[in-house]
Amino acid sequence: MKRTLTLLAWLVAFATLAMLPQLLTIKYYLHLSILALIWVIMAQGQNLIQGYTGYVSIVGAGFMGIGAYSSTLLGIHFHLPTWATIAMAPLVTALFALATGYPSLRVKGHYFAIVTLAFNLIIVIVLVNYKELTNGETGISNIPKPWGGSRDAYFYLVLILAACLTLLAALIARSRVGEILLAIRQNEDLVGSIGIAAWKYKLFAFVTSAMYAGLAGALYAHFQGFINPEIFGVAQSLDAILAVILGGSGTIAGPVIGAFLVVFLPELLRFADSFRLILYGLILVLATIFMPIGIVGICKTLIARLSRKGLRHGA
Amino acid sequence: MLIEILQQTINGLAIGGVYVLIALGLTTVFGILGIAHFAHGSVSMFGGYLTFFLVTSQGLPVLAAIPIALVAGFVLGLLIEIVAYRPVRHANHINAFIVALGLTMMVEGINLQLFGHEQIVIPTGLSKVFRLGGVTVPELRIYVIIAAIVLVAAMMLFVERTKTGQAIRAVAENRDAAILMGVNVNSIPLIVFGISTSLGVAAGIMVGALFAIAPGIGEGFVVKGFAVLILGGLGSFPGAILGGTVLGITESIAAGFISSAYKDVIAFVVMILVLLIRPQGLLGRSP
Repeated sequence: MKRTLTLLAWLVAFATLAMLPQLLTIKYYLHLSILALIWVIMAQGQNLIQGYTGYVSIVGAGFMGIGAYSSTLLGIHFHLPTWATIAMAPLVTALFALATGYPSLRVKGHYFAIVTLAFNLIIVIVLVNYKELTNGETGISNIPKPWGGSRDAYFYLVLILAACLTLLAALIARSRVGEILLAIRQNEDLVGSIGIAAWKYKLFAFVTSAMYAGLAGALYAHFQGFINPEIFGVAQSLDAILAVILGGSGTIAGPVIGAFLVVFLPELLRFADSFRLILYGLILVLATIFMPIGIVGICKTLIARLSRKGLRHGA
Repeated sequence: MLIEILQQTINGLAIGGVYVLIALGLTTVFGILGIAHFAHGSVSMFGGYLTFFLVTSQGLPVLAAIPIALVAGFVLGLLIEIVAYRPVRHANHINAFIVALGLTMMVEGINLQLFGHEQIVIPTGLSKVFRLGGVTVPELRIYVIIAAIVLVAAMMLFVERTKTGQAIRAVAENRDAAILMGVNVNSIPLIVFGISTSLGVAAGIMVGALFAIAPGIGEGFVVKGFAVLILGGLGSFPGAILGGTVLGITESIAAGFISSAYKDVIAFVVMILVLLIRPQGLLGRSP
């Protein structure tokens, strides 16, 4: 019963999203929706490492940058078609994630966060200074857009990819691997003591989340047509963390809701332009203190409470 | 060559002093409360901005502005503990860290709001330069190094010799036992945050006087501060002092001989190498 309801909710959500290009008369909102769907991919990846495994990684935007730059540069230098470079971007990102994940996963908790943050800073410094390859702070413009830049077509591409990757995340979370990841979050020593090599699973979660980010970056680059290092700074990594926390970490629906929030919230807060950073930080602090289980967590508790009441009335 | 190395070592000592001050605050907070106080860098830069404001807009002499900023830092530290960290004290460590990230955004936003986007330099009027052999040493750097040494020594004396310092060490060693011995676990975090933030503000003033303060700089410094902790070993005072000095000197020498654009990368690479070879830090005890 509950399972069919959840499935139904997902189908309704997907159908509503699929009708958005027809429903939205203001094209700017369609633009934001595409960004939000790209962020869904980003947040699902972040959720794997942050929500399920309990390791707060702050290099998400850095990996997004690697995906964006590798797709763009592969296209420029090797004249590969856009679909091929987008498909290769997560693989390139995975190589970087393997190299950075191995040292960072030797430390836990806060120190993992700090080390990954240092990697994000390194990525930005290299993107800024390796001018021969990246064109420095000026960035790269005129990145090819598929389908002659048709927004509707791109929307459906991103929607399908976001849906597939959400499904993949759900499959991972339900598999034995997902169970071990959850166990690592709860008690890593215990996982080790029953003979499971926790580091392999942590590295798997880290690399998978990086591949999600790499794909999101490539999709971003070919959607906007312009990238520069600033876009992939620490602030964006924090946005990914915020998306997971606000939506509900360790849930599948959480990152979807969170991604739409982090894209649309700044637009709604536009009236308070210069206070935006303060408000944003305040929301993050308040959300962590008062609703650490996120929006999905709160909904679940509410539904559970209501259905219990309903049962009592029925009996 | 030798003179160049000497020159960069002296430059490195000044910046190393800044790192040590930031790292001491971080290491005390971490040792006592287990919190990675990520907002420390932005709060420190707030202190630098405040000093700049007091000197340029209010016309105070630098020596009068500094104590005011230090006291303001102390009060700010108390506020941060009460308002932001106390509510998540018993929650998961990740939550405290995310609160710290949110706090960083807020403080950065407040800095922007109050002091604007422009980069600022605190005018000290100390422009004399000494020459020893071929090495040039600006007067300001010497004062910064001396001030850093004095502050570090004062902090060490406080923690090692006073009753409150003893209580702080006791909580770091064994929280439950400390509570049983009658240590007030509500006031200790307050004191720790107050003092740590004051030390951070001192570092912020030094950054403002030696280099410049601009939006976003605080994050770089706090990451360097954590790099120092990782270098020296978590929660270790001598480790923080050694780590900060080593990082400062390595960075200056790297900037002088390899590339100044990549000097931050070099600092982080050193940190990552230490993690790979000696995860407990240079002076840390092996677990």
